[in-house]
Amino acid sequence: MVVWSDVAFAGLLGGLLAVERRAFLQAMFSRPLVAGTGIGLVMDDLSSGLYVGLVLELFHLGSANLGAALPENDTLAATGVAAAAAGMTGGSGASTPAIWSLAILMFVGLGHAGRYIDRALERYCSRLAGRAIEAAEEGELERAVRQNVWGMWPHFFSFGLITAACGVVGFLLAPWVESLPLSLVRGLAWAYPAMASVAAAIAARGSHARRAALFAGAAAAVVIAGAALVTLQRLRL
Amino acid sequence: MSTDALRTVPLDSSRTGVLSAKVVWRVFFRSFLLQASWNPQGMQNLGLAYAVYPALEELYPDVDRRAAAVRRHLTFFNTHPYLAAAMVGGVLFHEQRIARGQEGPEPVANFKAALMGPLAALGDGFFWLSLKPAAGALCAGLVPVLHAWAAVIFLAVYNAVHLPLRVRFYWLGLRLGDRVVDALAKQDLPRRGAKLRALGAASAGALAAWLAIVFGRNETGPWAPALAAGCLVLGGVSYWLVAKRATSYALLYFAALIAAVTGALLG
Repeated sequence: MVVWSDVAFAGLLGGLLAVERRAFLQAMFSRPLVAGTGIGLVMDDLSSGLYVGLVLELFHLGSANLGAALPENDTLAATGVAAAAAGMTGGSGASTPAIWSLAILMFVGLGHAGRYIDRALERYCSRLAGRAIEAAEEGELERAVRQNVWGMWPHFFSFGLITAACGVVGFLLAPWVESLPLSLVRGLAWAYPAMASVAAAIAARGSHARRAALFAGAAAAVVIAGAALVTLQRLRL
Repeated sequence: MSTDALRTVPLDSSRTGVLSAKVVWRVFFRSFLLQASWNPQGMQNLGLAYAVYPALEELYPDVDRRAAAVRRHLTFFNTHPYLAAAMVGGVLFHEQRIARGQEGPEPVANFKAALMGPLAALGDGFFWLSLKPAAGALCAGLVPVLHAWAAVIFLAVYNAVHLPLRVRFYWLGLRLGDRVVDALAKQDLPRRGAKLRALGAASAGALAAWLAIVFGRNETGPWAPALAAGCLVLGGVSYWLVAKRATSYALLYFAALIAAVTGALLG
């Protein structure tokens, strides 16, 4: 059963985060790690939001809005995936790696779709800029500069609605998720760390560091060596 | 920042052409909306005109002069949204001089045209390609330990750098005008950025290993070590494939497919 208050909160937060990403402040509230966690929080499923946000943060770590180039919309991917995962959890009862994997696999493409929407909204902003110049020519200066504020509302509504829709789809998919065979659920649970590893490798590559492979490899080796030492000590005890 | 410091340009005999501290702060906060109507033609032009409008209202009581000032800031403008603070400050520096009759409108146009490209490159290199990935990778690495607090720490770490620098850039532009370039060069952002990028790469590598170990440990059954080892191998192979220009989506789905089939069969 769909919990409409959760869906409404997710939509509201999704819209606000879309505005923060593009139009206002850019203080990184819209990064996947934070956005996913926030959606999880408002939908009462912090774990799903946090863990899908983690993978998507790494997956999109190297992308940046440089000049006129538009990267994929990592915020929409995070809010949509987190809302869907939280919806599935809300409908089926428990937040599990299998649900996180399923939500990522089904909705990660939203980042790509978000870029098309961003491009379409730029055309709307072009019209606003044209109107502002006309108003300035007519001496209506206040009206001219106020056009700027109108540019952010379409982001709020469009991305908020998509996030809310993902939440609804998540709730609707919950019975189907519950009916999946146990072997498939186990397979999906294994898929989560595999995707996280791939996303971390993509992040290391996307760090833009010189000798990124060396830094990433050395840090991984230190962690593995540390874990091996701890395991050996436990076995001796 | 003191109120005296915000009264940027040395006071002449009259108070004409000097912005009040209230308006200076108002412009700063409105500059947060610089990209609200980003468009392919003028890019941040509408945002810049919106940000500086309270200053133009105060500096030009005469409507015709104000209209001319608004029009000169509705021309093409695009730079990094954080470094834009320095340019918005610099625009106020010049507009005050124009209002006092100390210069014509050309210097402010030249100031914008000369600086927006280099400042965009500086901001992209430091904030988008260094600080953001480093903070993101580092805090993602903290998730297995700190859970949701990692997201809070990410915001705190990032904004502890971002917000003070944004205020400082604005203040420098406001005080120094064109000389802001020398002041920004002293911040040494490219060298700091290189260190942050190395930190980002190391954090991502450590996280890849950490997640593989944690999930392998959590998995019950005789095949648990296989999950950890498989994830480590997948991470290494993925790094190599990304370097060979494999698409990240294909890698993600491929890794999920392999792991899911293996997990389903072995389970």
